Amino acid sequence: MKDSSSTYQPPKAADRFLRWFCREELLEEVKGDLFEYYLLERKTKSEWRAGISYWFHVLHFLRPFALKRKIQDSNFNIMYKSYFKYAWRNMQKHRTNTLMNLLSLGVGMACFIFIFIYIKGELSYDKFHNDSDRIHRVVIDLFESDGGILPDATTPPALAIALQRELPEIASSTRVFPKWGRKFLIGANEDQQYFEEELIQTDSSFFDVFSFPFIHGEPKTALDAPDKMVLTRSMALKYFGRENVLGETLTIYGSNNQVKRISAVVEDVSEFSHFTFDFLTRLNFNNIDNNWGWWNYYTYVKVNQDTDMRALGGKLLGFYESARPDQERYAPIYTQAITDIHLKSNLKWELSVNGNMDNIYIFGALGVFVLLISCINYLNLTIADSLKRLKEIGVRKVFGAHKKSLISQFLIEALLTIIFAIVIGGVFAEALFRNMGDVLGRNVSMLQVENLQVFLLIGLTGVVFGILAGLYPALHMSSFKVASAVKGIVSKSGRSAKGLRKTLLVIQFSISTIMIVGTLVVFEQLKYVQNSDLGFESEQVLIIENSRRISNQETFKAELERIPAISRASVADGIIGGLNWTMTVGTPNGVLMNYVVTDPDFIDAMGFELLEGRNFDKERPTDAQGGNLIVNKKALSDLGLTMEDVGKPVPMFSNGDSIINGTVLGVIEDFHFTDFKSEIKPFAFVYRTNTKDYSYIKLNSTNIGQTLTQIEEAWNVASNGAPFEYYFLDETYASLHVQEEKLSNILLYLTFLAVFIAFMGMFAIANMTIKDRLKEIAVRKVLGASVTGVSGMITTKFLALVLVANIIALPLSYYLMSEWLSGFAYRTDLGPLIFTLALGSTLLVAWITVGYQSVRAALINPIRNLRQD
Amino acid sequence: MKGTQLGEFEELVLLVVGVLYPDAYGYGIRQEIMKESRRNVTIGAVHSALSRLQDKGFVKSEFAEATHERGGRRKRLFQITASGKRALETNHQLRNSLFDRISDLALKGLNFEGSF
Repeated sequence: MKDSSSTYQPPKAADRFLRWFCREELLEEVKGDLFEYYLLERKTKSEWRAGISYWFHVLHFLRPFALKRKIQDSNFNIMYKSYFKYAWRNMQKHRTNTLMNLLSLGVGMACFIFIFIYIKGELSYDKFHNDSDRIHRVVIDLFESDGGILPDATTPPALAIALQRELPEIASSTRVFPKWGRKFLIGANEDQQYFEEELIQTDSSFFDVFSFPFIHGEPKTALDAPDKMVLTRSMALKYFGRENVLGETLTIYGSNNQVKRISAVVEDVSEFSHFTFDFLTRLNFNNIDNNWGWWNYYTYVKVNQDTDMRALGGKLLGFYESARPDQERYAPIYTQAITDIHLKSNLKWELSVNGNMDNIYIFGALGVFVLLISCINYLNLTIADSLKRLKEIGVRKVFGAHKKSLISQFLIEALLTIIFAIVIGGVFAEALFRNMGDVLGRNVSMLQVENLQVFLLIGLTGVVFGILAGLYPALHMSSFKVASAVKGIVSKSGRSAKGLRKTLLVIQFSISTIMIVGTLVVFEQLKYVQNSDLGFESEQVLIIENSRRISNQETFKAELERIPAISRASVADGIIGGLNWTMTVGTPNGVLMNYVVTDPDFIDAMGFELLEGRNFDKERPTDAQGGNLIVNKKALSDLGLTMEDVGKPVPMFSNGDSIINGTVLGVIEDFHFTDFKSEIKPFAFVYRTNTKDYSYIKLNSTNIGQTLTQIEEAWNVASNGAPFEYYFLDETYASLHVQEEKLSNILLYLTFLAVFIAFMGMFAIANMTIKDRLKEIAVRKVLGASVTGVSGMITTKFLALVLVANIIALPLSYYLMSEWLSGFAYRTDLGPLIFTLALGSTLLVAWITVGYQSVRAALINPIRNLRQD
Repeated sequence: MKGTQLGEFEELVLLVVGVLYPDAYGYGIRQEIMKESRRNVTIGAVHSALSRLQDKGFVKSEFAEATHERGGRRKRLFQITASGKRALETNHQLRNSLFDRISDLALKGLNFEGSF
């Protein structure tokens, strides 16, 4: 026996491992048992196999009962556990405060998350293309009548071809020809046809520049033949009920039907794209490759790697001059990075309503503001609370708490609150996203992967911020002297804490006031825009699309006018305030004239007042030819004409050397047809007898429902099966100010929340102040003070703070809002009313929040607060 | 009364502690269990059960003298306590009384085909 025990030794590593994890008091017996086992094993097995078995049994001691109680036993852990316990008890003890803290922090957090994710979306436009940094749009501005420049997104079709040919930096270029208000009747067969809007005509090089993700088909061959067509997944599903529809055909119905072969299916266009499409086909116009006269194509290029865009920009003008030797003046030609288009480009004829960088800044600032207000609230409440916990701190110090441990205790309390607040904020933000999808214009959820990442990131930042925010109270409270702390004497630092509290309250209310003024001004401006006289009668004008499908529009109009509720019907080739064309009129100095082709009834139907001259006349066939115009006053003066010239032939177009005369038949008052940011521009109406795109119907009845049914009946008779799609002209005008509408909506919500949080903070602070002073109030009352006197004493202090905040905020907001308003050519006045309103409302609410509490405190029977000492 | 229930394996260990008295220690108990029940038990499992039994007050233990075959390490010898004995008795009675109440018919049922 002696031999075996000394010769056989179990694996040393296993023993070491056992000693590392196993509890000391168990070690001896365990090792003994294992050793016995090992000896037995060794008798029958090789050393190697016995070793394995030994290890196996050692590892089986990894059970809770055998593990060292490292975690439970350390002083460190016991203390931290108790910190959490105290934090939790404290939160429960001051329920109102905790609730306010969590609510205001949570709401602030939610606003911040909401705005962060919204802005992140806005900033990510068009970044999904491969090499999006190399994709640019080339645009050429237009000259306006007064020599000014009209930034314009459209270019002639020859540009893309010439750029690719002349400039080596351009890797590929493509033209985009959008719908321009047209609708396309598309069908897989005669029975299943739909009117489609989102059809873009383009070049075969479309996918060389853009990279929309393919589901079926190849980018290289997608558009390499004129009869090929690309469509999106949802269109494939709509027409064929499946995704893989390669080789199927769709027909675009028209005067001559075009049969298209489907060559590729792509994913639905991302909402983060500045243009969208459902169908792509090849351009099929003749002679456009050398055409420099039509301004209705968009030119996109992809440049070579490492191209110096500034140098390329310098070359563009030279290129443009050599490409168009016939021009006298050259409007600026430049490139725009595709990723900048959504936020920074604000040209005429953008492909979709773009965002606005200013709004992004405003929203960003608001998000930070609201978060700031709620953090200040938190800081304020914590500081106020800390002054009440002096005794606790003193006792802790007496029992030997280090400064360090006090700091960590308060930090843990801060952290706990912040984590709760972040969770609440996440839930609130989700609720916001659910309810404000229509304001944002897209569906967002916190549960989307990318947003979850953002949430975690913000949460993490929140925690870091929470530690920083908790640091002040923590340092502050741990620095009290033991003796004074136990006695509850508020030292000098206590007074400085109160000073800080006041400063923070003032900052909060300044921000709130600025936001109130901002909201009021934005709403005023919107109201101004909506209530302004547009220069004609835009109410109750119904527009029907697809009117081109009506073969005899005169009969249709006559049919409509037989309905009593319709006072006038007309047709036109554009939408006032939505879609019009431009041409250069006048010679030698051309005026960039906006125009719409109409019939003679248009002027009457829309209530334009003729200041001079006459309307178009059906009986005079010459009215429908050449340069016979009805213009607005601005156009008349820009052309250099006066009322005297109306009706007389004036030089209007130059064609090489010959000058063609035209006549201004009539002059109408200036009217708005763009948003209120730009001045009124020259506008002309032209009379032609051809078939036009839109029917305009002026209603004179309030019974819209019945009238619509009657109109639809007439439409169905005349329209050859085209769908009855209509809207009111007002809607077009409303859509001109979508961005402001969005701004005002979000501003309203945020301001409400910010003010809510600020006043919650004030409520809590007032609550604490009054509790601190209950005895003082009682003594005052015993000595004969009145309820009004006592409540006035407390309320005045808070009102003074709000007043100071207003004094800071009002001039600042005046400056900010005049800056914002200066972006509008037609704007509301910054009257004193708005500022009075902001001042009054903040004072009133402060008075109510504090006044109510102070009166309640003053009404308490003094005995209740005095009998204890 | 939480924690005073006797688990199946615990009961087995407790019984063996009684059987091996006065020389019941971890490894010996394991060998006995493996011999009697022919199930493979790790030493750790036995120690764990013993520690639980001790926490519940069903066994008590003390160190024996150091012996040579364990490399000079002492054994911890286990002994059933009064409450341990009571727990065993209760379990025993419960089983017996329940077993007695099973009717013959039910026991015959065990012969049914496909019952397992």
